[in-house]
Parts: sequence; structure tokens; C-alpha cells
Amino acid sequence: MTERVGFSLARVWTIAGNTFTESVRQKVFNILLIFALVIIASASFFAEFSLGEDVAAVASYELKSIKDTCFGALSVIGMLIAIVGTAMLLPNELENRTIYTILSKPVRRFEFLLGKYFGTVLLTFVSVLLMSLMFLAVLAFKEVRLSKSAKAEVTAAGSDTEKQKAQELVVKIHDEAYDPDIVKGILLIFVKLCLLAAITLFVSTFSTSMVFNVAVALLVFFAGHLVGIAKEAWQAHTIVTYLLGVIPDLGMFNVADDIILGNVIPWPHVGKVAAYGVVYLSCVVGAAHLIFASREI
Amino acid sequence: MDAIRTEGLTKKYNLGWRKGRFLALERLNLHVREGEVYGLLGPNGSGKSTTLKCILDLVSPTDGAAWIFDVPSTKVESRLHVGFLPENPYFYKYLTGAETLEFYGQLCGIRGAALKKRIDELIDLVGLTTARDRRLSGYSKGMLQRIGLAQALIHDPQLLMLDEPTAGVDPIGSRDIRDLILRLKKMGKTVLLSSHLLAQVQDVCDRIGVLNLGQLILEGDVNQLISDQRRLSFTLEGLPAVARGQIEDAARAAGATVVNVEHPQTTLETLFLDAVRKDERGAGHHD
Repeated sequence: MTERVGFSLARVWTIAGNTFTESVRQKVFNILLIFALVIIASASFFAEFSLGEDVAAVASYELKSIKDTCFGALSVIGMLIAIVGTAMLLPNELENRTIYTILSKPVRRFEFLLGKYFGTVLLTFVSVLLMSLMFLAVLAFKEVRLSKSAKAEVTAAGSDTEKQKAQELVVKIHDEAYDPDIVKGILLIFVKLCLLAAITLFVSTFSTSMVFNVAVALLVFFAGHLVGIAKEAWQAHTIVTYLLGVIPDLGMFNVADDIILGNVIPWPHVGKVAAYGVVYLSCVVGAAHLIFASREI
Repeated sequence: MDAIRTEGLTKKYNLGWRKGRFLALERLNLHVREGEVYGLLGPNGSGKSTTLKCILDLVSPTDGAAWIFDVPSTKVESRLHVGFLPENPYFYKYLTGAETLEFYGQLCGIRGAALKKRIDELIDLVGLTTARDRRLSGYSKGMLQRIGLAQALIHDPQLLMLDEPTAGVDPIGSRDIRDLILRLKKMGKTVLLSSHLLAQVQDVCDRIGVLNLGQLILEGDVNQLISDQRRLSFTLEGLPAVARGQIEDAARAAGATVVNVEHPQTTLETLFLDAVRKDERGAGHHD
């Protein structure tokens, strides 16, 4: 009876899979997701209120409007799913005493914590994936309709200049609708959500109240979006800058506005921001482990 | 080798700032031998659950240490051969009975056909065959206790730790759990159970320990502890009325005092179980 029990990714995956299944079977997440999908799907119809005479201006406005609504829905509903999904994990485990049955098996506390975290990351990933697919489908649907109007203009155009202008518009609509930078924006939103989930998990390692966990995570969410501005304002004060460095700079992840305006986001920048997010969340999960390892259950 | 050994196990809980500490367990030296059923008795708040939690490293003792099969309880390896059923467990209510066992089996490294076979065996053993694909949110308290026992047994552990295994369970379910414990004992398993239902403990335990206010105040073999060596009782059947007086006279003549002569009573539990079992309408009966 002296076998060694090493760290096991299989156990982490088992706990993550179970956490994911539990979350999916809870109606609250499905309702949130359906709500997000409805908002994204209807973005196309909201945009149509702006119908005017100038096809180019209308097309540009409508596509921008769809991107704006969809990025907003992804960010806000994704945030709710990541924070609420994580905030209830440990309190529920403690309340239902399921944590006793797991930790009384040959399972390391770090495996348990990591499994719970990856379970929510998986839930967030699937939610973001479904919302993104809907987002891209809506854009594709809109592109077909706008291109049709633009092509009609090509046929109706009298002079060659008008024809060329209309053809350029068709290309422009296509490029705007299938902007590859959209994927970069979604990727950074996902990393931000994973970071928020890690922070929520960290809070729940020393608190037993789900409401408290959600409140602190939301506070970090808002502070994280303001910290960039604060850093600029307090540049001269090194200590304050260091203190502000503890709060994650979530503003860095918001590239959606640039994408909507048509600015190109270079991959190295995306990589840098994503790496910042991954390093930060790794530190937070590590800190959560330090507290959870000695927590009395 | 002891299945469980504790030495000077002490646990004090912090009550919060300036409120001091609560002594839940004081210098507990416990030895549970391999193959025996040991009952940890005590009133609510006597330290039974704290003892189990310290042994399983769910809480850290303030002082002292515990070992499971000679492996320190602070090591994850100590839990390789332990199955634990907490008090009033709920489990994941969105999983079915079979999925629950699959989850716990995978945690113990059992997979594939071996796991499937084990799940079938355990579902059958705890009598949940008809409810195996039903979600736990629809389980009764007794059914949850049964699935709890099944998850504790999933990796065929040598030691079972049961915290109030019959709490909130009806007499039939309670009797089933008692029978299961006896079967496990026959299979050579060691069982440590905590309870405050004394009659049941008396039926299944080889040895008991009584905890009160965090201290072990009594320990020993159940039969030795409860038998009254100064007295003797006979249970006779078909005795003619005249013979009763003769027996009493003979006893007095030998210098004994006749303390009590009465018709033996059945227990309320036996009466209840007999009545329910004789009711032939079966479990599926409805008005």
C-alpha cells in the first residue's frame, strides 16, 4: 500500500468535464446563452432601421452596427457566464458536501481546483464559440443582402466611373464583412473572460458567499477597465503605478472599437495582450491554489 | 497494522477575531484494527465528524497526527484505499445515478469496461437498478444515501468511513445499510462509522468508542461493554404455568434473587419491518 499518486491530468479533465456538464444542465446558462444568441441574431434587424439613400454609407453603417452589437453581447454575456459560472463552483461544492466525496478520494487539491477552473473555461469557450458562429453568420447574411443591393447598382450604373465605384463597393462590403481581425477581437475577449474566471475562482477560495464572489469579480471588471486611464494619470508616481499594476488592465483586451473602425490589429499585439492575460491568470490560479491548499473544508 | 491510527489528535477551530478558539477534539488516540467494524458514538457536536475530517485531511489537526494503513493522512496516497460517505450527502443533482458512479470511478482511475462492470455491480448491490438513469435531483434521501455508499465503494476500498450513514433514512433503508455493512465486514473490509443511533451501532459494531466534548471517554468491545456479568436471563418457550414457580423456587434455593419475570417484547423496529414486508401490495402500489 505504498503506491505513489502523482499529478494527473486525467483527473483534472474528469473534474472539468463534470463541472461543464453540471453547468450546461443548469437552465440559467442556457437561458443566458439563448438570450445572447437572440441579441446577436437580431443585430441584423436593428441595423436596418438606418436605411437611407446612399448604399455605401448604409452598408458601412449597418456592418459597423452589427459588429458593435455582437462584440458587446459577446463581452457582456460572456462576462456574466464566466463570473457567475465560477462564483458558484466552490460555494456549491461546500454546501452540497460533494467536495468531501472528491477530496476523500486520491485527488490532489490542485487537481480539483484546476479541474473546476478548466470546467468554467470550457463553458466559456463553448459559449463564446456559439456566439461567435452566430455573429459570423449574421455578418455573412448581411453581406449577401448588401452585396445584392450594390450589385444592382453596378447593373443600373450608366457611366464606367459609376460602374467601377459600385464594383469597389461590392469588394468593400465583402472585406468589411469578412474582416479577419474579428477573430482577433473574439480571441482577446475569450482570454479576458478566462482571466475574470480566474479572479472569481481566487476570491471564492477564501469566501463562502456566491454574492460576494460575484460582487468582487464585477468590481475587478470595472476597475480593470479604468486602470489604464488611472495609470496614465499617475505616471509620475511610481508606487501608485506599481499598485495599479496589481489590477489587471482589462482595457488592453478591448480591440473591438478599433476593429469596428476598420483599423488593423497586428498579430504581435494580439499575442502580447494574450500572453499578458495568460501570465496574469496563471499567477491568479497559483495564488488561489496557495489559499485553497490550506483551507479547512 | 491498524487500518486507522491517531496519536494525540487535537483540533481547535478559530471562532473569529477576539472570540477565541473552540476545542473540537482533544488528544484523541484511536486505533481501528483491520477487518473490524468500529463505531464512533457521541452526541451532536462531540467531535465525530471532526475526527473523520482530520483522518481524511479535509481539516488540519492543530496537534497530533493520523495514519491510514500506516500512511500519514497528509499524503494523498493515504486515500487510495478509503471510501467515504459524508453526513447528508447531496451529490451532483444534474447527474444520473450511473453518471455519478462513472465520475467517481474515473477519479479513482477506473475506466472502460472495468468501470462499466463495477457500476452495474454497485447499482445492483445498493438496489438502485430501476433508478440508475434518473437524475439525482429526483432521488429520495434514502436513495441518495445508497448512491453515496456506492460511490464510496466504487474503487473497492479496504476501509470505509461512514458519517451518520442512516441519518434521515427510513427503517427499511436503515436495515439495508446495516446488512450491507455486515456483508462488507464478511468480505474483510474495515468500517469506521459515526452515529448517535445506538441500537444500530450495537447490531453491527465489533468495538465502539464514545466521544464527548472532544474526548474519548469510553472504548471497548461492544458485547463486553453491554453485557451485565452479574445477571443472567433465560428465554423459554412452552413452559407450563406450574413449572414457573418451581424454577423460581430453585433459583432462590441456590441463593439467587429473581429480579424480573416477563414475556419478552419484540422491538418496534422488528414489528414495523414485519408489517411492511407482510404487506404484499409491493412498492409500485398506488391508490
